[in-house]
Amino acid sequence: MTPLQTYFPLAIAFIVAGALAALLVGAAALLGPRRPSAVKAAPFECGSDPIGSARERFGVKFYMVALLFIVFDVEAVFVYPWAVLLRDLGWSGYIAMAFFAFTLVIGLAYVWKKGALEMETD
Amino acid sequence: MEQLIGNNLASVAGFRPELVLTFGSIALLVLDLVLRRSRSRRALLAGAAVIVLGLAAVLLAAQSTASTPLFNGMIASDAFATFFKWIFLAAGFLTVLIVAQGDDYPSPRVGEFYGLLLAVVLGMFLMASATNLLTIYMSIELVSMVSYVLAGFRKSDRKAAEASLKYVIYGSVASGVMLFGMSYLYGLLGTFDVLAFAPKIAELSATTGAAGAATKLALVVAVVFVSSGVGYKIASVPWHMWCPDVYEGAPTPFTAFLSVGPKAAGFALALRFFLGSFAGPMGANGMAESIAGIPWPAVIGVLSAVTMTLGNLTAIAQTNLKRLLAYSSIAHAGYTLMGLATLSALGMQGVMIYMLIYLVMNLGAFLVVIVVAEATGSESIFDYSGLVHRHPLAAIAFGIFLFSLTGLPPFAGFTGKWYLFYAVIERASGPAGFWYGALAVVGALNTAVSLYYYARIIRAMFLEAPHVTDRVAPKLGYQLMLGAFSAAILVFGIWWAPIVEWSQRSMVMLRG
Amino acid sequence: MPRKIVIWVVLAALVVTFVGVLGARMAEGAVLPEIILGPLGLTDALFYLFAAMTFAGAATVALSKNILHSALGLLAALMGTGSLYVFLSADFLAVTQLLVYIGGVLVLILFAVMLTNRITEVKISNASLGLVGGGALLVATVPVLVFVAIATPWATIVPAELAPTTREIGNAFLTRWLLPFELASLVLLATLIGAVVIARKELKQDEPDTSVS
Repeated sequence: MTPLQTYFPLAIAFIVAGALAALLVGAAALLGPRRPSAVKAAPFECGSDPIGSARERFGVKFYMVALLFIVFDVEAVFVYPWAVLLRDLGWSGYIAMAFFAFTLVIGLAYVWKKGALEMETD
Repeated sequence: MEQLIGNNLASVAGFRPELVLTFGSIALLVLDLVLRRSRSRRALLAGAAVIVLGLAAVLLAAQSTASTPLFNGMIASDAFATFFKWIFLAAGFLTVLIVAQGDDYPSPRVGEFYGLLLAVVLGMFLMASATNLLTIYMSIELVSMVSYVLAGFRKSDRKAAEASLKYVIYGSVASGVMLFGMSYLYGLLGTFDVLAFAPKIAELSATTGAAGAATKLALVVAVVFVSSGVGYKIASVPWHMWCPDVYEGAPTPFTAFLSVGPKAAGFALALRFFLGSFAGPMGANGMAESIAGIPWPAVIGVLSAVTMTLGNLTAIAQTNLKRLLAYSSIAHAGYTLMGLATLSALGMQGVMIYMLIYLVMNLGAFLVVIVVAEATGSESIFDYSGLVHRHPLAAIAFGIFLFSLTGLPPFAGFTGKWYLFYAVIERASGPAGFWYGALAVVGALNTAVSLYYYARIIRAMFLEAPHVTDRVAPKLGYQLMLGAFSAAILVFGIWWAPIVEWSQRSMVMLRG
Repeated sequence: MPRKIVIWVVLAALVVTFVGVLGARMAEGAVLPEIILGPLGLTDALFYLFAAMTFAGAATVALSKNILHSALGLLAALMGTGSLYVFLSADFLAVTQLLVYIGGVLVLILFAVMLTNRITEVKISNASLGLVGGGALLVATVPVLVFVAIATPWATIVPAELAPTTREIGNAFLTRWLLPFELASLVLLATLIGAVVIARKELKQDEPDTSVS
């Protein structure tokens, strides 16, 4: 089978997703009644008057979490091929993987202890 | 598969120093957490780092230097790698000693520094022994990744932030270009194994016509691209742009480490890469010819000449000592490249000797910068006026290091330069000798230029009147280290036989 | 107004039928016949489509003045690269690309854009575009690279049948390429620690570094 044939269902999924999104947005734009007023045009902030810009600066802590996510995301990607072969590789594979995971567990412990995961607001 | 696993298991025996560094690095991070409240935290952490390095040194000394491939040909264990590993251990050890006394790294954060420093040392070990494109890439990444962090350690300092950012951006571009070059190499040669390159290239060079020309061109393009990763580590033109900013912005002890450790690792990698894969075996006269007649010596020679000229000419205008030393380190990368350009045994030996001596003299020079910065809070050349009156030992030691960096006898730098120039001149009588001669002349002219700006510092220190008269009182440890470095420079400037013999013995490299 | 509605309904019906027919055919076990579009097969056409998408995305990243557009361009470039992996029958790599780069790195970059206050107003200090130097480099390298890419007899292998690569990758990682694999974990560790070192207490600019955290 060519890649095209194998991945055809995937292509269909993408096409359907795109078409559905376009359909919904388009239908809403076409069919929805449009009666703008000043109150509706104002940004909604739980009923109170909007204060300042919407582009507020995020705390750097959130970025830390995102960064940690990527590191462990990559780890998961590395673990996956091993998991597929768990029985074939036996103990040697287990030990190799154990070291890999051990390193990252140390990293996690370090990050945790250093307080990078605490979410207090500065 | 059984065989591959068996080889991995057997390789552990030849990998003990690296294992110690790996687990030592992890252990230091754990210790950093455990000793959070301890009062003697600084001393304990420094002690632990020294113990790890010492243990690695003991195991390295006990290890056989016979050439063996390890981990299914990922790395090689040979005398050549061992020579450089000693340089890296020394660089790491001396940096730990400097950091332990200084206040560049405050107590809460010094544990991280030691842990990461050991990781860099491990990365450099692997750079010096990598014989596979993937290991080359991973080891360079390990060194780079940690260096980015350590360069940006002083966060409240905008210069450090700028330095770290520039380092990251240039570094990613360089490693991206290197990966692209590696993909070409793989596409041409069909293997990642650096040791298997030479026969494949010889085979490819039999192709004639347009395809043959394209193959050779592709090979040159690929190697030039791969060199960007190496050139970045040794700070040679045109991959030198990060160097002054990073050297200025990074904490000085780490700058010192950066200027000697990764540079030596880059040269080790380059020597193995070019001599092992792109040049034939050395003949009886100690000279190797490049495979398929691709003019590597010309390419490297031009790089060398441009690098040293640019480094030296730009250094003249600098007033910040760290920037000046950064440009001087670019220039020294240029001198050392001369040894690589000759593709000969003597050139290889020259590079090894030079890196060893450069370690002492450049670390020493940066140590003086640290001492003066701790006393005056300044890295400007103007604050070096009359240093001899304020602290004679620092001034005299700096004078020795600077003369040695220039390459004047009777200092050790002369020994290093002598071997590099000798290797070039040895080639000057052979084919394309004119160009080697020209390279030697450019090198000599550059040495003269470098004397000018080194002498400017020396004049300021010895002949100018100090702006302030209070005496600088460096810590005893610094004084001892300055004394030891100066003594080493003086001793090896006169009695260089041990270095030469050691490097002679260490020239055995695993070949495919 | 009603005409528009009719058009939309017809379009929706078309999509639904298309999916339904294809789904039914695939349920029967039919495979897509190889479609030939003029000189290019459909596979080739798709390859060029994805290559163009990658290229356009990369160009947007480099040339767009709005950093958000650059980030979206990066999305296109990464998606295109992922699709190209599929053509190289590297399915695991394609999924990894999706998972790590699009699911992680791209989100991180968008995050960074949002983290940076008033990023659009900041005058970038290094405004030198270096057009001359860049142009010279382009003129010097592009012909060489194009010539090399076209004329070189690359060491190629005949693409094997499309098969899952995950097992082979696992095998390679844990046997032959064990050392680089373990090295990767150290690089990740260094990244983790580095993230803490760089990001911690970033907000408190003038705080002395000596405080115990």
